[in-house]
Amino acid sequence: MSVFYERFDRHDAGEGVKGRSTHYCPGCGHGLVHKYLADAVEDLGIQNRTVAISPVGCAVFLYYYVDAGNVQAAHGRAPAVALGEKLAHPSSIVISYQGDGDLASIGLAEILQAAQLGIPITVIFVNNAIYGMTGGQMAPTTLMGQRTTTSPEGRGRTMGAPLRMAELIAQLEGPVYVERVALYDNKQRVKAQRAIKKAIGLQVENRGFAMVEVLSECPLHLGLTPAEAERWVKERMLPVFPLGVKKDATATREIWPAWKTPIVDPAVVHAVIGGAAERVQRFCTRFPRELWGRDIALKLAGAGGDGAQTAAMIIARAAINEGFDATHIPSYGPESRGGTSYADVRVAEEEVLSPAAPRPHVLLAFNAPSLAKFGPLVADNGIAIYDSTVAPDPPRLAANVIGVPVPATAIATGLGRVTVKNIVALGALAGATRLFPTDTFLTAIRQALRDKPALLELNEQAFALGAKAVAATH
Amino acid sequence: MAATVERPKPVLVPDSCKGCGRCIDACEHHCIEPGSDIDPVTGLVPVRIHLEHCTACGLCFDACPEPYALRPEFADAARASRPAPRATAIPAAEPIPDAIVELPPAEPLVIKGMYASAIGAILAGCRHFFGYPITPSTEGAELMARLLPRLDGQFVQAVSEVAAINMLYGAGSAGVRATTFTSSPGFSLMLEGLSYMMGARVPGVVVNVMRGGPGLGNIAPSQSDIKLACRGLGHGDSHAIVLAPATPQEMLELTMLAFDLAFKYRNPVIVLADAYLAQMTGRVTLPRTMVQPGVPSWAVAGDEAHRRNLITSIYLSETELEGENLRLLAKYARMVDEEPRADLFECGDAEILIVACNTPSRMAKGAVRTLRARGVKAGLFRPLTLWPFPIRALAPVLGRAREVVVVEASAAQLEDEMRLAISHANLATPPITRVNRLGGILPSHDEIVSCVVSGARAPALEATA
Repeated sequence: MSVFYERFDRHDAGEGVKGRSTHYCPGCGHGLVHKYLADAVEDLGIQNRTVAISPVGCAVFLYYYVDAGNVQAAHGRAPAVALGEKLAHPSSIVISYQGDGDLASIGLAEILQAAQLGIPITVIFVNNAIYGMTGGQMAPTTLMGQRTTTSPEGRGRTMGAPLRMAELIAQLEGPVYVERVALYDNKQRVKAQRAIKKAIGLQVENRGFAMVEVLSECPLHLGLTPAEAERWVKERMLPVFPLGVKKDATATREIWPAWKTPIVDPAVVHAVIGGAAERVQRFCTRFPRELWGRDIALKLAGAGGDGAQTAAMIIARAAINEGFDATHIPSYGPESRGGTSYADVRVAEEEVLSPAAPRPHVLLAFNAPSLAKFGPLVADNGIAIYDSTVAPDPPRLAANVIGVPVPATAIATGLGRVTVKNIVALGALAGATRLFPTDTFLTAIRQALRDKPALLELNEQAFALGAKAVAATH
Repeated sequence: MAATVERPKPVLVPDSCKGCGRCIDACEHHCIEPGSDIDPVTGLVPVRIHLEHCTACGLCFDACPEPYALRPEFADAARASRPAPRATAIPAAEPIPDAIVELPPAEPLVIKGMYASAIGAILAGCRHFFGYPITPSTEGAELMARLLPRLDGQFVQAVSEVAAINMLYGAGSAGVRATTFTSSPGFSLMLEGLSYMMGARVPGVVVNVMRGGPGLGNIAPSQSDIKLACRGLGHGDSHAIVLAPATPQEMLELTMLAFDLAFKYRNPVIVLADAYLAQMTGRVTLPRTMVQPGVPSWAVAGDEAHRRNLITSIYLSETELEGENLRLLAKYARMVDEEPRADLFECGDAEILIVACNTPSRMAKGAVRTLRARGVKAGLFRPLTLWPFPIRALAPVLGRAREVVVVEASAAQLEDEMRLAISHANLATPPITRVNRLGGILPSHDEIVSCVVSGARAPALEATA
């Protein structure tokens, strides 16, 4: 016996003859493939673990018949659904059952990815060279010259040639086993049974992705008797779709790594998401309202690699460490890949309400173009700090905006590492604005360098020299 | 004595035979021939079998496309008895409930909004992520790619958003908490899968970071997918709860909430963010507890207890589908009843009621403070659920308001949701003013204030009014 339901309760409520017969037309190959699938599941002893993914197409009702977990997928998406099921419960045996329109047309992307990933699922691909469910339209596997309702004069050159999926899938690295079989005589049926059992068995062994393409008969839409349809497959389809094993890496393919149960231990989760219990020391006695009120806008701008985003993040973190609110919005678009890098930072006593900084109180410009672009936007009584090594000319700023030159690149170069120029500039910002105490910034710098303690001393030096440089110019 | 395996001979079950005749050629002893009598039950013509020459080779069984047209007959009576029916014999699976467990105390994180969503998902028990990179949501996927392997979870970069949402469908069908992060163009691609999820009652969480559109548009912040999420979530009569965070903190909290709601209702939940919110780094306080997910009874979980389960959205019979539609509508009605959420700021005596969500609601809140300082009785009504729209919370403050000002980065999509809700609630619609910007620009604090104070209109407004 196999794993068919004793009565097909889902087939028209299982009433009358429908409870014991399929919805397929007389002579259709799907019924045979269903039987071989059900027999294989029975023989392998995996009924409880089996999840069958029904496609869109004539086999949409696979779940009427196979007594296993059943999921019905959107057209072409069965392999993606199968992957989701498999990864959710790797001990389950997931079988994606698809027709030629489903797998070889609308679902090409999904089957190619699933095959190449190689994750152990089994795909049964029924190729009958026609769209059955929608009424006999051209399939991606329709033969040249074959008449269908959408190739009424026969499939011609402009409609493309039939797709050989078994060969296409077999040339990928991912699959462990790909074979094309047929159903037209006793010998082929035995081979088909063996291939389907093998493909599922390889999943049971956790060996990898396997696909069996089955050349099948659609007597109705071919306008042939079942016997004629068998001959048609043998005589017409075989020359285009040669039978046989297209790939078999069973002997050499390593077993897929053991699947692990996801970790839900709160201590581990806490560590993985970066939870830290130790309280960060505070150094501010109050918010620096005397500077620009209760909500301060800063803009940091430069070229990619200048470190504007890191410096911005340190300011935001420093503010939050002190119990204030802060936000940082980076430039994240194509322009940030193309050489420029801007950051908007807001620091607020209670709550940041407008996270952007179109009129910053503080501008930190790492190069001349950034200074030219944003200098004029600095708010009244604001400060524009700029790297005077690369922007030596005094900027044109509003009368009530203070320009603060800092030779950040030169200082960083003197320290032997030009990349710390952003920390030099940050030191200058701290010195020029008195936004937070030095220790507040140094604490945030230490947090940023948690994984690179060797660089800490250099960065502290850079910060101190930046602050000192500003003190010297004032 | 070696045991011999007895092979059965076929006995025809005429009303299961469609007369296709595939068994005729299969039989090498010519035991089967085409029939001539119409079966009164099926109207088909079953084959005829003569067993005189039958060798019980079994080839006819393998050639018959029907599971039950040929009944195996064993000479041994003990084997002839049918096995007990299996499908209906399995009792319904007992649900394994979620567990809420305490997290160790932690200092606030300073992280991006997308990271907050990712961490929220992990704390909600999500260990499966399926996604496709798209700016400005990608950092969330990147964090999941780093963290999930350390929790023995699964991260899959799908071939497309279409594949990603269908992987979500598969994982949701299996009863696990899974998510995907995307942005507007990718969200469009996910609508097919979302419709199937709603039709088949598959839970899952989709975080959509709205960017400028239509088409490729740009990657700047926008709110122009509100209509899509609230009114156009795939084909068919469908709805999903749509949550609208306004801070990185809420990205975490509402993503966590989304999982609970998705499994409570067996329906996808959409978290609608904007590009600023996704990219913005801010303070995020971790919750005191996290979720260890259970296994719902309906899951197709690949074991005996869940073997009878089926996930599907196909109902060929019109009356059956209408029945299912009505059951879904009843579920949506329950969401409308139980899930609307809103945050009210200074609404108690507000004469000018500003309505906004996502990042623009922060500017609006600042504008309320400014206006209050100038003696204008302004308040902010911020829907946290865009669908269902929190009309019960709005109704009382609406009654006091002289004017409603809707602030948004879309062509009145939030306003339309509000208007529909007001209309369905049979409330009087007050005068509505718009402060909306398009193209990836958010309305500013100053634009909101000057609109209220002097009736000044933002540039985009004339075009869309």
